[in-house]
Amino acid sequence: MPTSHISRRRFALLAGSAAAVPPISAQSGPPVASAVVGRILNELGGESPANGTDGYKAGDPSRPVRGIATTAMATMDVLTRAASSGKNLILTYEPVFFGRADGPAAPGSPAAAAGLDPDDPIYKAKREFIEAKGLVVYRLRDRWQARRRDDMVTALAESLGWRQYRVKSDDTLYDIPGATAEEVVAQIRSRLNLTGGLRAVGDRAARVRRILLLPGTMAAATMWTRYADADLIVTGEVREWENTHFAADLFTEGEKHGLVTIGRVVSEDPGMRACSVWLKTVVKEIPVQWLAVGDPYWRAV
Amino acid sequence: MTAREVVERVKAHVGVPWNDQSYRDTFKLGDPEGTVRGIATTMMATFGMLKRAHEQGLNMVVTHEDTWWNDRDDTKDLTDNPLYRMKREFALKNEMIVWRIHDHMHAMRPDFTVVGSLRSVGVKGGENATMRPGVLTIPETTLGEFASQVKRLTGSRAFRCVGDPKARVSRILLGPGYATPRMTAGVDVVIGGEQQEADGAFDDAEYVRDAAALGMPKGLIMLGHVVSEEPGMEDMANWMRTFIQEVPIRFVPAEEPFWT
Repeated sequence: MPTSHISRRRFALLAGSAAAVPPISAQSGPPVASAVVGRILNELGGESPANGTDGYKAGDPSRPVRGIATTAMATMDVLTRAASSGKNLILTYEPVFFGRADGPAAPGSPAAAAGLDPDDPIYKAKREFIEAKGLVVYRLRDRWQARRRDDMVTALAESLGWRQYRVKSDDTLYDIPGATAEEVVAQIRSRLNLTGGLRAVGDRAARVRRILLLPGTMAAATMWTRYADADLIVTGEVREWENTHFAADLFTEGEKHGLVTIGRVVSEDPGMRACSVWLKTVVKEIPVQWLAVGDPYWRAV
Repeated sequence: MTAREVVERVKAHVGVPWNDQSYRDTFKLGDPEGTVRGIATTMMATFGMLKRAHEQGLNMVVTHEDTWWNDRDDTKDLTDNPLYRMKREFALKNEMIVWRIHDHMHAMRPDFTVVGSLRSVGVKGGENATMRPGVLTIPETTLGEFASQVKRLTGSRAFRCVGDPKARVSRILLGPGYATPRMTAGVDVVIGGEQQEADGAFDDAEYVRDAAALGMPKGLIMLGHVVSEEPGMEDMANWMRTFIQEVPIRFVPAEEPFWT
């Protein structure tokens, strides 16, 4: 249960009205994590979905918060940088413990056999690091995404240098200066510091002007329904028997619409920078920093 | 012989009870009663593959993966799609017939997709592997050297690696296509086709990356779905030739779709 640490009743106490939110700056010491998270959720508004992902994943929510780190994924590297720069509340968009369950399944449950082993050495080492450094890890995806979805797109566009090229506010199309698909891919790789995760399908020499930008995972039918709207769709990840297959068939037929996948987490990285910028307006008392995850992949030589 | 007769011959030799409930292993395109002039086995019935099969005079395609860009080959939302119409018209005009065999291949002993994939990356001991081949051991090497071997042997342009290239590795666990296995304590390198990168049943990429950060020698090699299962379809053609001699049977690659 991702939201087990905050029951609906307790959530209502924390976030149901402004008066119920602890006045985090009026306390003598630094505010505790649950008070900071309550404030953030209150400011975001909305409701947590019943089977959502958000919640405390590690660490004691009653710990005082010295600094906040936002990140697309709380990897060991991110946690290490957070701890060494004095950020002990980590807001992560993706899981910390290697999957949707975000930890070992309850013993005896159907998921236990396929899920994370409670004695897994890497799981244990990561958990011990979090405890030793006094960190608190909270997954903030559903509530952030529900209210600030467009920030995930505009922040990625900003990292790509395309922010000013947005065509209209209610769609994520960008008209960039014309270039070949190969040149645009080189730009993307260099601006996002990609090491090996980017893969492209289509005509390298095609002229590209209009981009459809979709951070995260692209749904199965998006390629069929949207390909004609853009010269190039740039997204985080797809399933290869769906959108990749369609893009390959388009190329065979001589169509000039291409597909570029840059990696799911890399595509979500800038959105959590936007989250840190927004957080600074909400939690002014505590330092807030974005920690980039970066491209996990490399290519064989 | 007709396409349906080809399929009946396969069913008689597959060695496992035929499951008529499989929505995957069915005809996807063309007339099952049509005359077969030649058979092309392939990993995915892409438009390019259909054209290459047609050029070789092979009008029946036996494909492991989908034709219509979704697992169920559901076409109800595609009937007005220009690419769907072009691909369908090309196939029907040339009397092509597409039949998929996926679930039964993974139930077969051996599972050709796994046998072919292990062979293609130079890992020995998987010659009779089933869908879950277990851990296979290679002479100890580094992850970087092993990845170079995979590149050299498969010719793949776009496969992706995670982990410390200097990590010493010897215990390999491979899963075909989307069945990328989860990393465990007894495995050094997981090899798969593709996997949702995060928020799935088990996120190998994050796990292996964290292992590297903790100094534990682990590696992940994501071949891509086509590269991962393609070699097994050559084995499929060889196997079908042992019980179908009336028409030519050839392996026609779908080909890796990516550039980088």
